[in-house]
Amino acid sequence: MRGRRLRRWAMKTAWSAFLLVILAVSPVWAATVTNKDAETAVLVVVEGESRVEIAIDAGGSESICPTGCFLTTPSGDRIGLQGDENVEIINGSAVVK
Amino acid sequence: MPSKLSVFLLSLWIALSALPVFAQDAATPVQGAQPVAVNAQTQAGEQLNAAREDLTRLSDLVDKAKSDDNRLAELKVDVDATAKKIIGTSIATRPRLDEIKTRLAELGEPPAEGAPPEADIVAEERKRLIAERGEINALTGDAENLSIQATKLSNSITATRRALFSNTLLQHTDINPEVLQNAGTALAVEGQALSRSLTSWISFAWKYKRLSLLTALFLSLCAALVFLSGSYRLFSPLIRRDVKDAEPGYITRLSVAFWSTMIPTTAAAAFVLSSYFFLQSFNVLRPDIAPIIAITLGVSVALLFVVTLANAVLAPGEGNWRLVRVSDLGARRLMFAIFAMAAINCLDYLLGGIGEAMGSPVILTVVKSLFASVFIGLILMAMALIKPMLPVGAALNSQGRPWPRFMSVLLVVTGGALIAAAMLGYVGLARFIATQIVVTSAIVVTAYIGILTGKAVAKQNAFADTVVGRALEKRFGMGQVPLDQAGLAAGLGIYALVVMFFIPLILLQWGFKIADIQAWAYRLFTEIKIGSITISLVGIFAGILLFAVGYFITRWFQRWLDGSVMARSRVDAGVRNSIKTGVGYLGVGLAGLVGISAAGLDLSSLALVAGALSLGVGFGLQNIVSNFVSGLILLVERPFKVGDWVVTGTTEGFVKRISVRATEIETFQHQSIMVPNSLFINASVGNWTHRNKLGRSDIPVVVGYDTTPRRVMDLLLEIADAHPLVLRNPAPAAVFSAFGETTMTFELRIYVADIVNGGGVRNDLRLEIFERFRAEDIGLPFPKDVVEATPADPPAEVAEDKQPPQDGEAQAADAKPETTHRRPRRVGSSAAGETP
Repeated sequence: MRGRRLRRWAMKTAWSAFLLVILAVSPVWAATVTNKDAETAVLVVVEGESRVEIAIDAGGSESICPTGCFLTTPSGDRIGLQGDENVEIINGSAVVK
Repeated sequence: MPSKLSVFLLSLWIALSALPVFAQDAATPVQGAQPVAVNAQTQAGEQLNAAREDLTRLSDLVDKAKSDDNRLAELKVDVDATAKKIIGTSIATRPRLDEIKTRLAELGEPPAEGAPPEADIVAEERKRLIAERGEINALTGDAENLSIQATKLSNSITATRRALFSNTLLQHTDINPEVLQNAGTALAVEGQALSRSLTSWISFAWKYKRLSLLTALFLSLCAALVFLSGSYRLFSPLIRRDVKDAEPGYITRLSVAFWSTMIPTTAAAAFVLSSYFFLQSFNVLRPDIAPIIAITLGVSVALLFVVTLANAVLAPGEGNWRLVRVSDLGARRLMFAIFAMAAINCLDYLLGGIGEAMGSPVILTVVKSLFASVFIGLILMAMALIKPMLPVGAALNSQGRPWPRFMSVLLVVTGGALIAAAMLGYVGLARFIATQIVVTSAIVVTAYIGILTGKAVAKQNAFADTVVGRALEKRFGMGQVPLDQAGLAAGLGIYALVVMFFIPLILLQWGFKIADIQAWAYRLFTEIKIGSITISLVGIFAGILLFAVGYFITRWFQRWLDGSVMARSRVDAGVRNSIKTGVGYLGVGLAGLVGISAAGLDLSSLALVAGALSLGVGFGLQNIVSNFVSGLILLVERPFKVGDWVVTGTTEGFVKRISVRATEIETFQHQSIMVPNSLFINASVGNWTHRNKLGRSDIPVVVGYDTTPRRVMDLLLEIADAHPLVLRNPAPAAVFSAFGETTMTFELRIYVADIVNGGGVRNDLRLEIFERFRAEDIGLPFPKDVVEATPADPPAEVAEDKQPPQDGEAQAADAKPETTHRRPRRVGSSAAGETP
């Protein structure tokens, strides 16, 4: 009886640890754009119907488009994003991680 | 020396011959990747073209289906899928773009004015790469535009549907005698058309498709047999009112009401679907007849649903099964009113469907609905006159009282509003409200009864009283606790059923389309967005499931390894336990990792958690972690195993279990003590049974000076030799260990094969010593009462357990409680401090 209770305790601990980890690791699933350059980067983001310009300060980062979008970087390249990427702006062009 | 030289030459040769190969290898990818990448781009271009065509087609379809809400909902799903596809296409070109950018960076900037020109091949490659980059960008730009177009289309569909809904609901028709007259003529035309097409269809089907028609009808009958009577047979204890039960309990009434509504309705729906399917698949139906048949079948199921529900709740015939407290007469009248409303509403829909199938003018449908709404309004107002309420304590068949004020006002106002809306020309609205009153309230009532049933069943010990509970108890002999747990599960199951079944049903009633609900459910299960966080329920469930599977596989593998492999290979029990536990930790860890990655959580973000945890370990968790690590060390080093007799600090006993944080030790009094693992690592641990169970046991004997010491020692040895459990090798020894003031102390040292038996052997020996000394007249010079009177002066008697401090090693448990007392005691009275 004692053994069973102990085992149940162990099970409970394992489960709660598992849940804790799940809660702790809740991921951020929007594309994150980080500007690694020294000057402000101006990006054109096309999300849904609208085409908006966003400016990201040097070293700053921004979460955009959770459902997928298109991005035009300062270098003139266009890339499509699914919405779960981490994008870094290096020398005006986008590096998707 | 020559050999060294040859090795050197050989390696040089290999290195030289390998060089060009490396160079070639380095050169090939860029050239080799070229056709592949171009292929990928043309492929992307084709996909985009396909998507463009899809969009054009879809937007045409949307234009055509401007008034068909159902179709629009489906089209929206398609459009959204196309938009997703467009983004996917552009993502596929990303790797090539990255490659080009990297290569361009490698090539560097073109030389400035005046600088020496670069090699042609470099300039050419740069040119080519830049052109390709432009192509990809153009392609992505296309995709961008298409995506905008798709989103616009999707949004316009939503707007159209919204407009459609409010239009149908608030459409206004002037009601005047002329309209009624027109409707009358149209009705006559429709009746003729209906009878014509019905007769022509029947005669056609009979003449040319007799076999198919009969087969379809026969199969439908079979389906009816299967679904209707089958469900009745199968679930009869759930849905039948037990006539003998004079005073049915609340749960029984609730559950009978719920299931006697749910099961026949579901069975009827299944029957209707299958017979329609048979008619359709045997090609008996004609396009003009099919919708009429479909709506007739559908409407009958709806009517059946409402009527069975009303019957279940009101139970006009059997007052003791009634769920609401109303009088017999009131129940009968309410039942009739509800039946009339449902029938009128169903008829309205049936006639509407027929009108649509016959292509009658819209005004006819409007007028039909007008009448239906007015009738329903009248019935509602008439319901206000029914006197169903019963005063507390009154018999069910006594005269009822009127409704409470708010209820009758509500009925009158609703009925009046319905009539007014219909008369003013807002027939669509009136019809919508009438349907809501009949069907939606029926669904809500059923759902409510379902939830009440679930709640009642899930209550403690309630399940055992139900029919199913009793059946389970009888069939499987389930005890109270499993039955209670089964009740909880059943309650939760009923909740789930109610939520999954009735919420979509109500949404459908409110004009949402199946495609919408599917899309919502899909989104609910795959991506819930909270701010910028997306949670996928399916992913998390999959993760948990995988973890559970991994966990059980680990347990099974552990058992198999322990029971089948290691048990037969005669591995030491400690090693077995260690391997088993280690495999368990490893398996659970792996299952956790697999589960986490299946749940869609990025394992790299675990690094973050690990960082945070290490800080936590530094502060608060260090004890737990150190215990865990100590547990691992205990498993590897194995200073003791399960079953060993260990001593640490003040704790002594047998090891029962070595687990993650602590080790369970059972003392000789059967008290379980959890000793943290780190204590075993940091402090010294005594183990009586580490390599073997052989151990020494000492028995001190105190005798007066009037005895010959040699005689005493001989006697002691003799006694030890006579005992069967005392080992001959190492031989027992008798030692003259100390001179006292009035006594001599001897010690009998014996070895036993199993130290666990030491206590019993000592006890036997002491008894034997006492008896032999008395027989030999050695240790009893003083009378007993003198002994009792002079406690400070120990007599030369066979004393026991006056343990000198230096030989505590063998009798730790024996000595502890008795080191302080100096008064001689009777032999055998020290059982409390005895080792087993």
